[in-house]
Amino acid sequence: MKKINLKGLEMDCYTEVLDNGLEVYMLPYSNKKNYFISYATRFGSDVLEFTDEKKKAHKLPLGIAHFLEHKMFEQEDGQDPFTFFSESGTDSNASTSFDNTQYICYGTKEFKKNLEYLLQFVNRPYYTDENVEKEKGIIAEEIKMYEDVPDFKLETKLRECLYKNHPRRIDIAGTIEEINKITKEDLYSCYENFYVPNNMFILIVGNFPPKEALAIIERELDTKEKKKLPTISKVTEPVKVECKECQLKENIEIPKVALGIKVPTKNIKLEKLELDLYLNMLTTILFGSSSAFREKARQEKLLSGLYMEWEMLEEYHTFYMMTSTTQSKELIKEVEKEWKNMEVTEEDFSRIQKVWIANEVRMIDNIDSTVNNLYDDILKFGGIIPDKIEKIKNMKFKKLKDLMKEIDGTNMSIVQMIPNSK
Amino acid sequence: MKYTKKDLGSYNLHLVETNKFKTVTVRVVFHTPIQKEEITSRAILCDMLLQSSEKYKTRREMTKQAENLYSADIATNNQRLGNYILTSFHMQVLHDRYTEEGNLEKAIEFLSDILYHPDIEEKQFQTDKLDIAKYNSVVSISSMKEDTAAYSLIRMAEAYDKNSPLSYHMVGYIEDLEKVNEKNLYDTYIKMIENDYVDIFVVGDFNQKEMFPLITKYFKFKKIKKAKGSYFLPIKKPRKRRLLAKETVENSQSKLSIACPFKELTTYERNYPLVLANFILGGETESKLFQEVREKNSLCYTIHSSAHKLDNVLTITAGIDKDNYTKTLDLITKILNELKKGHFTEKDINVAKEFYHTYLEEMEESENRMITEILSSEILKQDPFEERFQKMEKVKKRDITKVFKKLNMDTVFLLEGEKHEED
Repeated sequence: MKKINLKGLEMDCYTEVLDNGLEVYMLPYSNKKNYFISYATRFGSDVLEFTDEKKKAHKLPLGIAHFLEHKMFEQEDGQDPFTFFSESGTDSNASTSFDNTQYICYGTKEFKKNLEYLLQFVNRPYYTDENVEKEKGIIAEEIKMYEDVPDFKLETKLRECLYKNHPRRIDIAGTIEEINKITKEDLYSCYENFYVPNNMFILIVGNFPPKEALAIIERELDTKEKKKLPTISKVTEPVKVECKECQLKENIEIPKVALGIKVPTKNIKLEKLELDLYLNMLTTILFGSSSAFREKARQEKLLSGLYMEWEMLEEYHTFYMMTSTTQSKELIKEVEKEWKNMEVTEEDFSRIQKVWIANEVRMIDNIDSTVNNLYDDILKFGGIIPDKIEKIKNMKFKKLKDLMKEIDGTNMSIVQMIPNSK
Repeated sequence: MKYTKKDLGSYNLHLVETNKFKTVTVRVVFHTPIQKEEITSRAILCDMLLQSSEKYKTRREMTKQAENLYSADIATNNQRLGNYILTSFHMQVLHDRYTEEGNLEKAIEFLSDILYHPDIEEKQFQTDKLDIAKYNSVVSISSMKEDTAAYSLIRMAEAYDKNSPLSYHMVGYIEDLEKVNEKNLYDTYIKMIENDYVDIFVVGDFNQKEMFPLITKYFKFKKIKKAKGSYFLPIKKPRKRRLLAKETVENSQSKLSIACPFKELTTYERNYPLVLANFILGGETESKLFQEVREKNSLCYTIHSSAHKLDNVLTITAGIDKDNYTKTLDLITKILNELKKGHFTEKDINVAKEFYHTYLEEMEESENRMITEILSSEILKQDPFEERFQKMEKVKKRDITKVFKKLNMDTVFLLEGEKHEED
């Protein structure tokens, strides 16, 4: 077990990789009562086709990763995992994303028993024709629930516009038509190929004994064998956005706009974490809450709130902005202007650096946000970053300026959502 | 954790000393009896006070100042607590140990500045700033229907009793927005500062002797406020037959919202058996609603219940297909009737108790939860934290059944989704 000091945070993190490839990350707290456990696989909705070790090709129904997540809660012995955790007042849940699926439990009691059970139930798939059929109605309601969320539809449409071939164009839950095709055999083949130790990791944060936790993990998972990971069919994605402008009508009163920039990163000479930091720095200075753009947009009533986020793919980073606005045209013009001019000052740069460092320290107080942060780092950068604060401190203004030269702010998709009545 | 409450005459100061956080949180809470017409202007006021101040003339300057104080987090919000509206001003900043000497005091001063020195000229707020706040408000009000679950609950509450604060929502109302102007918004502000009952909460790793003079230096209110009126909404007279209402919208899913008012509950019933009853009915994945409606009958993805102690009502919400409306409603009715007959097990009760215990333990891990708990504890006359779990442990099945018997389904609202497929 390796002990890593998280610099500037007065915390030690423990990591281990079992012989079968399973990664373990543990961050114990001495002053908290609660704990959080996540058992995750790097398998999400991005996988549409794969070839297994016997060279057999599989084409998957859309939404299968999410369907499998639901069905993991079905156990042959009839024990409902929710019930098991409930008995100690522990909450449990699961979630599927584009590139991962995680099973979680969190509470204050029976840590060891719950850790053990979490690992056991995720290792015990039990799919039958009947239980697969039963889930279709529940997931159909989940899909329909999202269909009624305009912001969700807007984001989905923006993805469709940004990407030509990449599976990010497709909703994580799939479609009702596609999930109806799912069979227990499909589920087993996904499980057997992607729920293998060398494709999975465990993250534990909060009040728990690390040594004993590792002993439980080793005992439960040591017998699970390493397996050759399947080859996931890759798609080639063009540099240019698929569609520059598009419009959709929806049951809303105030129009919405989504703007996305697609940045190819193959030729940018920064390591992954640095690239992530500098890109975020750029958009925080340009569009963040203390930016000149936001002040102007507020004064001219171009927007009220603004949602923005970077998404990392292997060869592309994409930047999303979404807002409700009554002046779509003017807002779009201002955003385009901002991307064209890209004005940044050293003063802004240092202020944001200071904010980020403070936020790293603040975040560690809260177990939920710490979990999210570490989970993201494990997925994005392949592990915990012990010196993130140092990395932020060492950022150089010149590097940001150099990076800006590589960004084509016109490689943009714009989606306008307008009210049905108009 | 060490909690001390000091009555300073013009406000109550609540100090929570804990070593759990690297930050210090300060929250100033104003209480006033709720009036529907005032909600919108309160919402606008919150926005205005964060738009600019006497010292920081734009939102950008204000944000930059917060950032310079090592990312001090400033927020405001309005919430309804029974018969009252609570307007809160919240500041959270890292302890000086992680920043620099004097940063905490500067951040407290910043919050005080926002509150006491707004951007005002001749007893009026600025016209251009008010325009911006009104625009923001229009966007929020007009986007309300986008959250279909929340909208369904509001519509249900309107059908339940449109004059009850239960049906009020804090986003504001278009018809009242037009009435807000530079002058009367200033009146709202003065009324809040001068007349509202005030609580100030400080949570973090500090020393009382140091914190007390700091807070009293920056927060002063003139008047000694009188005792507050009741926060409880009146008990609703039972209907002869339950009311079924609906509205059709262009959505894929339908949202079912149900109100079950309580008959008179004792303080004990409200603070103990009711909590367990709600857990058993629709609190978690173990609940009867989740297990029966979702897991066994695949009728929904989301379903849960919430007990609104001050409002004397329990609500149930579910996202369903409109074709399953009758089936779902019948099933929920059946579940409720079974519970009234005492058809639930000791195991159900124990699970609910365990969750309550976890809830109490986790409360200390979040400043926000702690503040909310302290606030509502006083109003609900709850026992001290240390005693609560032991008392909850002793709750008997018959106490819970008795509470279930006091619940009656009164109003059922369906926000019916009807999607016209595009050609």
